[in-house]
Amino acid sequence: MNCNQTAICGKIVEIASLRYTPAGVAVTEFKISHVSRQIEAGRSRQVECEVSAVALGQMAEIISRVTAGTAVKLVGFLAKKSRMSLQLVLHVNNIDPV
Amino acid sequence: MPILRVALDVPVNTLFDYLGPDTVVTEQDVGTRVRVPFGKHLMTGVIMEVATYSSIASPKLKPIAHIFRDVPPLPETLLDLFRFCSAYYHHPLGEVVMNGLPGRLRSSKPFVQQYRPILEYRLTGTGRAADPSVIPPRNIVKRRLLARLKETGSITIEEAKQLSQRAPGVLKEFASLWWVEERAEIESSAIAAANTSSPVPVLTPAQKNAVDEIVPTIKQFNTWLLHGVTGSGKTEVYLRLITLMLHQRRQTLVLVPEINLTPQLEAVFRARFPAIRLISLHSGLNPSERAGGWLQAQRGDAQIILGTRLAVFTPLPDLGLIIVDEEQDMSFKQQDGLRYSARDVAIFRARQTGVPVILGSATPSLETYYNAINGRYLRLQLPSRAVRNATLPLVRCIDTRIAKTEEGLSPPLISALETSLALNQQSLVFINRRGYAPVLLCRSCAWTAACQRCASRLVVHLREKKLRCHHCGHQERFPTNCPECGDQDIAPFGHGTQRVEEALSRRFPHARIMRIDRDSTRRKDAWQKMLEEIQGQRVDILIGTQILAKGHDFPNLSLVSVLNSDASLFSSDFRASERLFAQLMQVAGRAGRGGIPGQVLIQTEFPNHPLYQALCRHDYDSLAQTLLVERKLARFPPFIYQVLLWAEAPSIDLALAFLANAEGISAKPKHIEIFDPVPAQMPRLKGMERAYLLVQSSSRSKLQKFLGEWRTQLDALPDRKVRWALDVDPLEF
Repeated sequence: MNCNQTAICGKIVEIASLRYTPAGVAVTEFKISHVSRQIEAGRSRQVECEVSAVALGQMAEIISRVTAGTAVKLVGFLAKKSRMSLQLVLHVNNIDPV
Repeated sequence: MPILRVALDVPVNTLFDYLGPDTVVTEQDVGTRVRVPFGKHLMTGVIMEVATYSSIASPKLKPIAHIFRDVPPLPETLLDLFRFCSAYYHHPLGEVVMNGLPGRLRSSKPFVQQYRPILEYRLTGTGRAADPSVIPPRNIVKRRLLARLKETGSITIEEAKQLSQRAPGVLKEFASLWWVEERAEIESSAIAAANTSSPVPVLTPAQKNAVDEIVPTIKQFNTWLLHGVTGSGKTEVYLRLITLMLHQRRQTLVLVPEINLTPQLEAVFRARFPAIRLISLHSGLNPSERAGGWLQAQRGDAQIILGTRLAVFTPLPDLGLIIVDEEQDMSFKQQDGLRYSARDVAIFRARQTGVPVILGSATPSLETYYNAINGRYLRLQLPSRAVRNATLPLVRCIDTRIAKTEEGLSPPLISALETSLALNQQSLVFINRRGYAPVLLCRSCAWTAACQRCASRLVVHLREKKLRCHHCGHQERFPTNCPECGDQDIAPFGHGTQRVEEALSRRFPHARIMRIDRDSTRRKDAWQKMLEEIQGQRVDILIGTQILAKGHDFPNLSLVSVLNSDASLFSSDFRASERLFAQLMQVAGRAGRGGIPGQVLIQTEFPNHPLYQALCRHDYDSLAQTLLVERKLARFPPFIYQVLLWAEAPSIDLALAFLANAEGISAKPKHIEIFDPVPAQMPRLKGMERAYLLVQSSSRSKLQKFLGEWRTQLDALPDRKVRWALDVDPLEF
């Protein structure tokens, strides 16, 4: 029951400016815009989505330096945006250029 | 051998008998400090009585260790004041006496004055009566000095030095015998100077009327309520009456609610009375300064004594007038130890001395207001502002349900600030919460940083990189992640002064912004410097807590905006609306005191609330009347007299059990209502669980009588691990 890993490719869009937690940990919130073709029930289909993402610490600093529109592959886990929210956010642990 | 009855700082309501020394101790020594053996230690106390017998068997009586002759004994009137406080507040006399003394005089060491160099020596009554023949004939310098002093009454240090090289030493010797008094400055014709100083403004008709009403009865006790709108010139009325006191060579005691108000008022007084000895007494002084000021007051050297609540216990031989400014202020009530109200003690003191007491306020407490409309206090009104063309500010509410706020600031507020900046006028943003944000919140699991010792949340102080408890002073570093769920992205939630400062600095990068709260004014003289900056118009936007709300006069301030005041509307404290109204009226009153018209903007979600509506009309009376009707219906003060029995213990059960016991043993007379014990509004403070028992009666004398008996029973009650206290006329629950 510990499995929670998501990998997604796309272009980074809407990078919010770097902020810090009171303890001094960097936080960057951003979105990734994904467009691809995927196989579903044996047939190819078009997929488009925009995923909210967040990165902390060093990862936040790396992403804050990325120019919007850069294509990347993100790997991380999913969590609720906040306790009362139903929206999911991808917490990025790894980024690779595509 | 005489028996000395000594007041000691111990929680037992009794005096302690000691044997006086063989050297003569007389009635004259009542009020003198002594060192006495108490258990295994020595303690400092004050002789309250000198008797010829003791009910304690004489072998058991211990002699005193030392009698202090460093300062003159406390006057009898002051001891009477202490006795009154002990009786009225049902607090042990020894604790009352020692609470009233400046810390330096409570210590084990004799007080050595170390203030300004002594310039003049004056002969005292003792010195005048001194017999020159006790001085050996060969000691020519001593004889000559005494003769000279008896001739002229005083001698300056320069004159003395001309007489002999050894004269200064001899004078010191005289001083230790109380033959002469040391003076730090040469007495000039101070009274004459009282008239020839900064230009005296012409009184408005209302001010003149107030002065004219008070002056004819200035030599008798009356409680006056000087009810004047903000900026109506209450201070000028005080100044006129003080001038009169100076002419009559009598002392004036001026009580102000906060240390922060003393520098400004002190400056006003000094400007008007440059040659008068004025001392300010507050907890910001170092112990020697405070004791020095206290002694000047006791000797009658200081003519004006300006201070916070503790100054009400200053010995004043020539007291002629007491002024309590901003009488409604909570800080006149001490919340621990002797839980006294300096305002009420001041009224008692005025009656005891037979002098008038003036309670000044724009928003009197409902207790005072009720007494005034009933005729117990005499009410004087100053209905309009004193400065020509200065009118009361226009008060408007900004409905934040419509005008959405960003970083706590709504668009209309931002544009008003812009306008003020463009006009080169000062603005004040009032938010009564210091720190960056009141809560550190984990958005993933809703954990908030709480104080381990208090039932409170820790406040985020971003600048100091600390979480702080505003109740117990505990502080800790920011956690790197949420202790509950581990999320690192924990964030400050809500607004405090630091956050508003940050937001405004970002919004107005060129404006000169100053934050004024307890943190930024902590360093000595910091507040004084800030005041100078404001007065010198080197600040555009002030962000401040209630420190800024009271009493200040900033002529160039035209805009006041109020953030986050709604919280008080939901308080469970029945005095919350009275206080909120007073506070908002106060802070609103900072706007438009000079010639420029003022504007007040209040951000609220309830613009139609009667409290805000009354505020917009500047209508204290109608709100006060409404609140009085409510209080009467609910049987709250001033229609009832209340007392709390507080209990603190490591666990709430212990505290409640003690209170239940206390309730059980009470005689439960008629006319006295005793409620069940309940946890306090702040159920845990500094690691102790707190609860209280409310006792009330519509008759103060019956309540007092009951308390006298109950207190004795309480003293006998087993109270292991429980700390308890009586709080007469409580203000906090």
